[in-house]
Amino acid sequence: MSKSDVVVIGNGFAGLMSALVSADQGKKVTLLSYGAGTFPLNSGVIDVLGYDDSGKAVANPAQAVSAVADEHPYKKIGTQALEESVKFFQDVVAAEGFPYVGSLNEQQWLVTGVGTLKPSCLVPESMQGSKCFEASEIVLVGIKGLKDYYVDMVAENLAKELGNDKKYTVVTVDPHYQGARDLTTKDVASWMDTEAGYADFVSQVKGNAGAGKVILVPQILGLKGNVVYKKIVAELGCPVVETTAMPPSVNGLRLRDVLLSALKKKGITVIENAKAEEAVIEGSKAVAVKAGGEVRLQTYNADKFIVATGGFYSGGITMRDFGEAKEVVFGLPVECDCVEERWVNKQLFSDKKQTFAKTGVRVDATLRGVNESGNVVLENVYVAGRNLSGYDFCFEHSGNGVALASAYKAAKA
Amino acid sequence: MELEERARDSADNCIACTSCIAVCPVTKANPDYRGPKLVGPAHNRMHFSDESDYEDSLKLCSNCKNCDITCPNGVSVATLNMLERAKYYKAHPEKHTQADQMLSHNFQMADMLKSIPFGRTCANIGMSIGEAMGMMGAMGIAPQRKSPRFATKYFRELYKEIKQPEGLTKEVLFFPGCFIDVNDPEVGVAFVKVMNANGYKVLMDDRFKCCGSPLVVGGYLDEARSHADNNVAIINEYAAKNIPVIACCTSCSLMLKAEYTELFAQEEMAQAAKNVYDAFEFLTILAEKGELKKVHVSSDKKFIYHAPCHLRAQGMGMPAVDLLKEIGVNIDSADAGCCGMSGSYGFHKENYETSMKIGSELFDKINASGAHKVVCDCGTCREQIKHGTNAKTTHPIQVLAKAYEQ
Repeated sequence: MSKSDVVVIGNGFAGLMSALVSADQGKKVTLLSYGAGTFPLNSGVIDVLGYDDSGKAVANPAQAVSAVADEHPYKKIGTQALEESVKFFQDVVAAEGFPYVGSLNEQQWLVTGVGTLKPSCLVPESMQGSKCFEASEIVLVGIKGLKDYYVDMVAENLAKELGNDKKYTVVTVDPHYQGARDLTTKDVASWMDTEAGYADFVSQVKGNAGAGKVILVPQILGLKGNVVYKKIVAELGCPVVETTAMPPSVNGLRLRDVLLSALKKKGITVIENAKAEEAVIEGSKAVAVKAGGEVRLQTYNADKFIVATGGFYSGGITMRDFGEAKEVVFGLPVECDCVEERWVNKQLFSDKKQTFAKTGVRVDATLRGVNESGNVVLENVYVAGRNLSGYDFCFEHSGNGVALASAYKAAKA
Repeated sequence: MELEERARDSADNCIACTSCIAVCPVTKANPDYRGPKLVGPAHNRMHFSDESDYEDSLKLCSNCKNCDITCPNGVSVATLNMLERAKYYKAHPEKHTQADQMLSHNFQMADMLKSIPFGRTCANIGMSIGEAMGMMGAMGIAPQRKSPRFATKYFRELYKEIKQPEGLTKEVLFFPGCFIDVNDPEVGVAFVKVMNANGYKVLMDDRFKCCGSPLVVGGYLDEARSHADNNVAIINEYAAKNIPVIACCTSCSLMLKAEYTELFAQEEMAQAAKNVYDAFEFLTILAEKGELKKVHVSSDKKFIYHAPCHLRAQGMGMPAVDLLKEIGVNIDSADAGCCGMSGSYGFHKENYETSMKIGSELFDKINASGAHKVVCDCGTCREQIKHGTNAKTTHPIQVLAKAYEQ
């Protein structure tokens, strides 16, 4: 394998964005992938900051980001890199024909798969839940046999959120499914990608469409970008909104496909099933990463490395013995408040962050790992995404936002 | 000696995240398949008390390994499926069909035909007549397909006729695998040419048996184990003499490098694996050491490459494409996922529709590419591509051998 300018380790949102921004800088990029990242699991929306430290809903993400605590990754990334990263992302997906709406100055609202509302920052056109606000009637579409989607519950919860002055109508579409297994949103989305499936669906819903209404569907509008969305909105003549969903997440997969397509156009080499196992260090620099292979590791040389291995959740950071947290590839310094009494907040949905979730690599404003005295450990190794310390993405709804902004900054450095 | 870490224990690393179901080509094509995580890992963990209690859709897994490639937690999902399948057939040997028996034991048929005068010619004529009369379907073989014909001379015979240059000091042992040996021996001939040009003498060892991949997917695990023990002993014998073992078939190399150890967890298998290389993996190592014969291709004939899933699972990228690009070949990867054949899977009559559905994305890309040939390391992928597209196919080692000739 010939030498690259940049080796990105990690196949999630932070990894793919790191690779794209690096390639945009004219760099020769190799991406080492292991597993599919979180794309099949998350909704493929970009939450920047949904809730502040006290658990209060954030109305203006840009403002709230500038007020985060010093330990928070956003503080190190800075608002300028965040703003540029959002523009970069929106340009990439728009160029792939899959535009995302939203800005840092306001929240978008998603309707979840259980009918509650959730803030996000950048969402695909098909998931703009705010379209429900103005409607006089919400037509909720259920799918016969669909796993994990209870349309009556969605209707009941949504009425609590949006008020009873709207009309809520439930329609159940029969996909005439013959298979032996439970139906997933991905199965229904595949069916919608076929001409016959699309026509069948439209014929069962069309009678309920009309002015002043919104059609609310689970995440089923095809697997290929926004092709089905555009077609069905034009055909039904009223807004159509997708909810978030249980895995496999159709929109996460759409986003992944779109980004991989952009990667291919940029000539980025993706090595599949290549788990980064160890680094070759010379002095204060990394010169190579050894990865993959059932039998023998392949060596990937580069001038620069970006570690987007996903923290605890994806094995980028491990802790075999309590208190001994370890970044697995480069041995970068991990910081955590490893005191047993504080480690876990047993009130899962309370107004406090989880200590374990804030565990991550200690970095400086350049996103390079630093030791306790604040000195850079490896001068050409940068950290992106869930590996970073100081935030709890579940609590504050900032996962893909931190991933995007840190990827951008790390790649630009 | 039994290894401490066994593939079947990796089921406990499954967090049921559904990533494997999201990418499984069979799940996408066939709504009867419950998906990888619900077949191998879940079943393995449930430890059903009743031996006959097995998931029906277990037989639908093609062992293509896309679940393993997608798993974020290193679970050997496909191998768990195969272990569960083997348990099922152990409890229900009567469930094995004639097609299972035939497609898993092609090596026996090949050996038998070789021992009969004109056996292969007759068998090929027999296949043509059988296909024309629609008899394949009755045997459980997809009647739409043309079965690969037996070469009039197998590679093991052709090899004896090849005059390798005198004085080559370095040696490699070739593991031809069944398809190259009996169906497509020209790939082996090209391999010998390439290795000779790089200063290596190619050895053969007639004690090698089929790698066992078709036996594993057919549920004949005990037989596969005996093949593994046989092959591993030979590989280790050559390892002691510092002679590497090289395969041109990526399913064979995956079996020798990874699956033996995953399935049977024996120390000597892990040891043998270290001495096994895919052909282009080996050539790339030579190139990195500056020892690969230099050549430049000036033709701008366009090729399209299909990466076999069993190569992708090996976690080393696409060494054949990288190397061919490096010498100037106009080649691009189709990146269209699984071809749907997965060894013998697509030859089963009941899998034909699923197999062709899975392959459709690849077929479309090939048809739209305007490439004059499809390059692919796997023999049965090439069969599927020929069937689904009418495109001409070749093994990358043949492209390189041709470049050396010019």
